[in-house]
Amino acid sequence: MKAGLMICVSLIALGWLANPGRAEESTSAFFEKTVWAKVGERTCLKCHKAGGEAEESKFVLTDPKRSQDQTETMRHNQSVFTKIARLETGVHQSRMLQKVVGKLNHGGKEVLKADSPEYRIIAEWVKRANAMPVAPRPVFVDKNAPPFFEGVVMLDDRRLLRRVTLSLAGRLPTEAELTDVAKNGLKALPKILDLVMKEDAFYDRLREGFNDIFLTEGFDDVPENALSYEHFSTTRGWTQNHDLSHIKDEKERRQAGYKLSNDYRKAMLGEPMKLIEHIVKNDRPFTEIVTADYIMVTPYTSRGYGIFTELKPKFKNPDDPFEYIPVKLKALVGRNRVEDQDSTTGFYAHAGLLSNFQYLKRYPTTETNRNRQRSRVYFQHFLGIDVLELAARVSDAAAVSAKFDNPTMQASECVVCHKTVDPIAGLFQDYWKFEGVYGKRKDGWFKDMFGAGYEGDTLPPKERWRALQWLGERTAKDPRFAVAMVEHAYYLLTGRKVLQPPKELQDPLYDAMRRAFQEQRKQVETIATHFGKTGFNFKSVLKDWVVSDFYRADGLTTLAVHPKRRTELEDLGLVRMLAPEQVERKVGAIFGQPWGKLNDQMAMLYGGIDSKEVTERATDPSGAMGAIQRILANDVACKQTALDFNRKAKDRLLFPHIEPDVLPGTSPEADAKIRQTIVHLHQRVLGHYERVDSPEVERSFQLFSGIVKDASERKGIDPRENYHCRSNLPGNASADPKYTIRAWRGVVTYLLRQPGFLYE
Amino acid sequence: MRRDFLKLCGMAGLGLACPIGPNAQAFDALKGKDEPPFDGPYYIVFNASGGWDTTYLMDPKGVGDINRLYKEGDILTKGNHKYAPIAKHIQGGMSNEAFFGEFGNDLLTLNGLDYSVNNHAPGARYMATGKLDSMAYPTFAALVAACKGPTCPLSFLTFGNYSATGNIVAMSRVPYLPSLQKIANADGIEGNAKSPYHDDFALNRIEKALRELRESRTVLPLLPRQERAESMLYAAQINSKSMQRVTQHIPATIPKERLAQQAEIALASFKAGVCVSANLSIGQFDSHVNNDPDQMKLIPEFLAGIAYVIRRAEALKIRNKLVVVIQSEMSRTPTYNKQNGKDHWSIGSIMFLGPRIKGNRVIGATDEKQFHVPLNPQTLAIDKAKGIRVRPEQIHEALRQYAGIADHGFSKKFPLGLTEKEKLQGLWG
Repeated sequence: MKAGLMICVSLIALGWLANPGRAEESTSAFFEKTVWAKVGERTCLKCHKAGGEAEESKFVLTDPKRSQDQTETMRHNQSVFTKIARLETGVHQSRMLQKVVGKLNHGGKEVLKADSPEYRIIAEWVKRANAMPVAPRPVFVDKNAPPFFEGVVMLDDRRLLRRVTLSLAGRLPTEAELTDVAKNGLKALPKILDLVMKEDAFYDRLREGFNDIFLTEGFDDVPENALSYEHFSTTRGWTQNHDLSHIKDEKERRQAGYKLSNDYRKAMLGEPMKLIEHIVKNDRPFTEIVTADYIMVTPYTSRGYGIFTELKPKFKNPDDPFEYIPVKLKALVGRNRVEDQDSTTGFYAHAGLLSNFQYLKRYPTTETNRNRQRSRVYFQHFLGIDVLELAARVSDAAAVSAKFDNPTMQASECVVCHKTVDPIAGLFQDYWKFEGVYGKRKDGWFKDMFGAGYEGDTLPPKERWRALQWLGERTAKDPRFAVAMVEHAYYLLTGRKVLQPPKELQDPLYDAMRRAFQEQRKQVETIATHFGKTGFNFKSVLKDWVVSDFYRADGLTTLAVHPKRRTELEDLGLVRMLAPEQVERKVGAIFGQPWGKLNDQMAMLYGGIDSKEVTERATDPSGAMGAIQRILANDVACKQTALDFNRKAKDRLLFPHIEPDVLPGTSPEADAKIRQTIVHLHQRVLGHYERVDSPEVERSFQLFSGIVKDASERKGIDPRENYHCRSNLPGNASADPKYTIRAWRGVVTYLLRQPGFLYE
Repeated sequence: MRRDFLKLCGMAGLGLACPIGPNAQAFDALKGKDEPPFDGPYYIVFNASGGWDTTYLMDPKGVGDINRLYKEGDILTKGNHKYAPIAKHIQGGMSNEAFFGEFGNDLLTLNGLDYSVNNHAPGARYMATGKLDSMAYPTFAALVAACKGPTCPLSFLTFGNYSATGNIVAMSRVPYLPSLQKIANADGIEGNAKSPYHDDFALNRIEKALRELRESRTVLPLLPRQERAESMLYAAQINSKSMQRVTQHIPATIPKERLAQQAEIALASFKAGVCVSANLSIGQFDSHVNNDPDQMKLIPEFLAGIAYVIRRAEALKIRNKLVVVIQSEMSRTPTYNKQNGKDHWSIGSIMFLGPRIKGNRVIGATDEKQFHVPLNPQTLAIDKAKGIRVRPEQIHEALRQYAGIADHGFSKKFPLGLTEKEKLQGLWG
């Protein structure tokens, strides 16, 4: 055994001496791609890090997610791994190999099975570490791999512009913008985006996108109940007592009362996302979503807080239910003195969304949950970490539960997560009563859980009154915050989450998945770094993503057939099925008015969310959604085709250069006009820039001419457009003697059913 | 053209994995032929979301301080099943007594299942997919839908619970039964088939153009996401035509009960042959406070929902094709906490019912302290010396084998990592 080991070590050493460059590279590569990726990051890092259960051991690693220098972090971790791998207990008994199987009083007990692939990786590392005569080299870069984006076709600048204006502002690009891009290419985009990000429609989209993440519109109560009865008993229900006596008609008065109440509730629900809008619109540091010392209120919601009178002069229009302005609340005063809010400044301890009434109400707590749900959500929303994904298999969870009086503080299997989760839960301790908005727990905070703090720092008692501000300040400085926000921006733009590191070590495509993850991660970190340098201006994140290869990837030069390459490319390309709201906006942008039917039940059926129980949008179309797409295509084409022909040519959106009397096959000029119209339609509806002789234009031409021909051969065809499709037209505008309007309607229907319209 | 479609399928992640049947159906769809109705088996996964108390259902104890509502001697039996007596403690729904009395002969219970974790989200994920540490795996319901009915317009229905699809099938959420009626005839104005938007010749030409477009795209060098999305979009629109078969099975009156409402949507879709599987779920089982009143309200509601489905399936003449999985993401502790509640417990049970599942059987066990008792996977007998822990992987492996999809490409794409020795032999009888 010993001889075998010696031979192995000798061979490795020999290899290294014979070709030091290669051996150095392979050692670093082996560490990063195998030891770190497959064991260190996934298993050891859970405890062996600052703030972790094993932070006082000799084996303390650095979490790359909390570092701004990935190269240095990897070097450090490799060094630590090397050092520990060289330690022995007894004669040639690797300390590391014994620890991982639970021996030598390993605090984490058995984390690897002795016959597992992970154990064999550590064993190999121990061998290599003991063969290395010098400190590890810098992080491995596989110089032989072809560039990740090699062979990937990027979206041309005009189409990229259309994608961006539709996505962020719900409109088509202007001629001026198109000209700018045609002249200056990609360089024109940041400037255009700066202007786009001043439009109201952009902020509608921004709020919608962030609600998809924070889901604050989905709290389970009437909106004004975000304000507790204890602190707002005389004001939160102001609409019930509002004087509407100047409206003499009883029915009108009742309707006005309903509207008042509905507007109040809508405004109340909108406050959290309006905070985000305010921060972005005013180029304030995006860290304010966890540090802002104010909330956003309107004339209506400020009445709920009881501060309308003092704020009234600050509103441009005190009767506008939806004019939001920032305000700093005074410390809450309870009906009972014991419920008065602690505050050394006299103000509510605002900390952006963390202390926001609606946010707290959306993620409430219970006596048994103890704010842990809030902690989990905090990690997910603000640090981009799914703590429950870390939940490791326990050999016998029931036995652990039964063995310890307090497993979450005593059982290493539980401590690994709870040591991270519980301190954050403790920071929310005074947001307990009244369904989780401000109000202290009567019996004080729980003693049988880790105390309030942040990643190893304990909350000083004097800071308790402002614990969430204390948390927000630390969150803003945590490198993971910037990364999480960049990931949120990616979700907003693409509708999907960033890639996670692959976990199936035995998967033959593991390396390809890992590479795809790393390439995307590099982009995320690059944007996050720039985000920090801009003073956390969120607009910079959107701008950086938009011009990135990940957002622009749109095809391949050659078919990718090799499974590894296909795996690398698996998540590349936007290819986002539009959500119901986006479809409506796109119809509005192209046709001048939205469809108007993708709401309520139909929106839910089309994969929408209610922010309560359905919180993730559908990403692929079901057959039910396919049916809705057919209905939409039929109906929008029906309502818009004849209507457009009924406009003056200069005002038309779809058919500005042709009249219904132009028939296919009657002259070269007529066919040319039809083809040019088809080119226009492809560009307007699909965003495709086709040549008049392209196969796609030919297909549409054949469709149009084929329908006209079929109609001419069919007896008894009504010489008017379908009643339903002409019902919105004035007078005699329904005439369609040659069936051309209906044939054009067929072409529009055909285009609306295509991915170019239904996807982004 | 067929070869092109198979290529298309393959690129979309459907191809190599598609068995001949569904491939042929999808090919017909591409040619514009009507999709034949999916003929079963149909799968329903019932989930008691929040964590049920198995000791008040199929794994009664009545010893120690485990149950306050009955003692060991009160435990009832139906054939080989033992169950907790709850009839006198419930206000509505269906009692264990009635449930086991009616379905015991068809029911297979597995006790002593090790959920392995004590948290809702990972537990729900693990029970739904058979994989604890991956967010990428599809639920069993999604997997079987993808394998057996990839072209069904509502192949995988979900009403809650963990519903990841692994990107191999589209998930359908149909919140309200009437909403299906609105979309059943997509080419008719206001859903009226007699009042079409387009004349038949125009619509035929539109469909032909779309088909040719789709075919032309299959030879282009697209990104994998583009290939997949375009394929799924085309299939969704084409297959949506068969939605019109659903309306005739929508009942005139809609039941008030939560599970029954979900069930009607699923059953109408099964009966119409447009659906393979459905996740049905009700929540609030997380009884940390006042466990017994909560469980006595929810277990009867849950059982009543299951009974409703089975009886309605009988009426619709599809019961002999209906496979029912009854589960939760965790169980409750063997002791009460200070608030008369019970906290999370990682040992629990699961039940099955359906064709080729031999009923009146109970496999596995927990001991008097509600710990699992090792099970011999070969003999399915209790074996404290050589038995193993039965975890969700084993259940899912058995379900995959039962459904005949264990060797399907999609299943292989999401391996469960069991050795032959660990697989349960003869679970279905």
